[in-house]
Amino acid sequence: MSQLAASYRDPSGFIFKENEIIKRQINPIFFEEYQAAVDAGIYTSLFEKGWLVRHKETYRDSFKIILLPEQIPFITYPYEWSFSQYKHAAQLTLRIQMFLLSKGFTLKDASAFNVTFYNGKAIFIDTLSIERYKPSEPWRALQQFEMHFFSVLLLSQKYGANYLKTLSSEINGKSLKETSKLLDWKTKFHPVIYPNIHLMAKGNSEQRRGGSTEKIPKISKASQLKILTVLESHISSMSISEPTEWAEYYDQTNYDPASFDVKKQLIRSWSTEINATKAIDLGGNDGTFSRELPESVNQIIVTDIDQAAIDHCYKTELTSQNKSRIIPMVCDLMQPSPALGFANEERESFICRVQNMQPDLSLALALIHHITLTGNVPFEMSAAFFTSLSEYLIIEFPDRKDSWVQFILDSKRDARHLFEGYGISAFAKAFSQYYHIEKQELIPGTHRTLFLMRRK
Amino acid sequence: MNFILYFDPGLGAMIAQAAIAAFAGFVIFYKTCMMYIKEWLGIKKKKGPDSFDEAYKNDQTDS
Repeated sequence: MSQLAASYRDPSGFIFKENEIIKRQINPIFFEEYQAAVDAGIYTSLFEKGWLVRHKETYRDSFKIILLPEQIPFITYPYEWSFSQYKHAAQLTLRIQMFLLSKGFTLKDASAFNVTFYNGKAIFIDTLSIERYKPSEPWRALQQFEMHFFSVLLLSQKYGANYLKTLSSEINGKSLKETSKLLDWKTKFHPVIYPNIHLMAKGNSEQRRGGSTEKIPKISKASQLKILTVLESHISSMSISEPTEWAEYYDQTNYDPASFDVKKQLIRSWSTEINATKAIDLGGNDGTFSRELPESVNQIIVTDIDQAAIDHCYKTELTSQNKSRIIPMVCDLMQPSPALGFANEERESFICRVQNMQPDLSLALALIHHITLTGNVPFEMSAAFFTSLSEYLIIEFPDRKDSWVQFILDSKRDARHLFEGYGISAFAKAFSQYYHIEKQELIPGTHRTLFLMRRK
Repeated sequence: MNFILYFDPGLGAMIAQAAIAAFAGFVIFYKTCMMYIKEWLGIKKKKGPDSFDEAYKNDQTDS
């Protein structure tokens, strides 16, 4: 049994891995709260709503209670979510708190890391965050909510999607004082932003000066519900608008409908031949090609550098009738999420999580020219990276005549000669050091070749 | 009651909640008035298919 470093903060219990299965232990200090929630049917109601990860109690004695939660194949972190994902995670936290309040319970914390995405939707994964509500007590987690969610959403709305990554450098959330300084002065007249950000930031700094001997203030349940209702309504109406390179990429370049269909057909048949069940689509844009994978592939991570493309992917999955098999996440492959937190063990790196998931197949479509020509990564290093992820690789190589390649090469100006080596033979030679090239097809009507490779 | 608090909830922030609730009360009053006016004018706002509520529509078994 090994305790996971992600759950060291809460003394109520912890998560651990036993024979590759994630389990949760509840410590005696939390028995009473857990039993109260069980007796009130709180967990069952939240399962039925699809808001909380399901669990079964598998063991109980006077020292510990063990829960077996539904296994989530891949955890994405808040700094890997698109704007709509972030927004829905925030709404989920508030909706759960409103529901709990109505039943006499409350969330004791509101960390964004309590939420992840499963079957295409946001889901709350910290079962032990639920405890009994003490009459007239304010929501202790409100400030944490503002720091983890509301600040990040407001700053992304104002300054761009880069702020969605805030928690990667500030794991405990954005300081409200800083958010208050960064927001427009006009927000001081906004009836939702002023009290939740500026006033709260001010309240905190004044309290720090005054010491902490004061009694905990009282606020009625109805007043707390008003705060939550207004905050949730404001967040649900938030949107982000910024130019994107990739969200309409397929409409713009390189493929006529016939070539596009050939590419889809090749991906479908090759991935069927290798019996893939788990895949990762690197630079997968809005997941167009991931959706072409056969039904036998039941888990697909779609990564892209562009939050607008991932947002589009997420929203498309949300509106589909079936349970989604796609896990969308924003990821810049030139700097994927590192391991974070105490001892670098609290949040795992992107690569570590992908390797633990063990995909059979990686898709790298229309990606290698960006890594090689924009990122200056030698072919050998790209090949080594791809082999670390999965046994099979379907990779698309655009040659020098491709319009995107020409555009990137032209932008190199005087340094263009440094990329003379970019070509299909150099690519195949470098990748052959790591892979057997199983199949190779030129996509008709394009200057792009699709390869199926198997790790050596 | 067994409160196990492992992060600083910010006492000042908790004191501020009374004021935040007053603002929220005002917003709710304003929105309710606007809703009545819009209803009277026949303006209805529809939730998008990718909204939070639509996402969980099939999961809801109690309300």
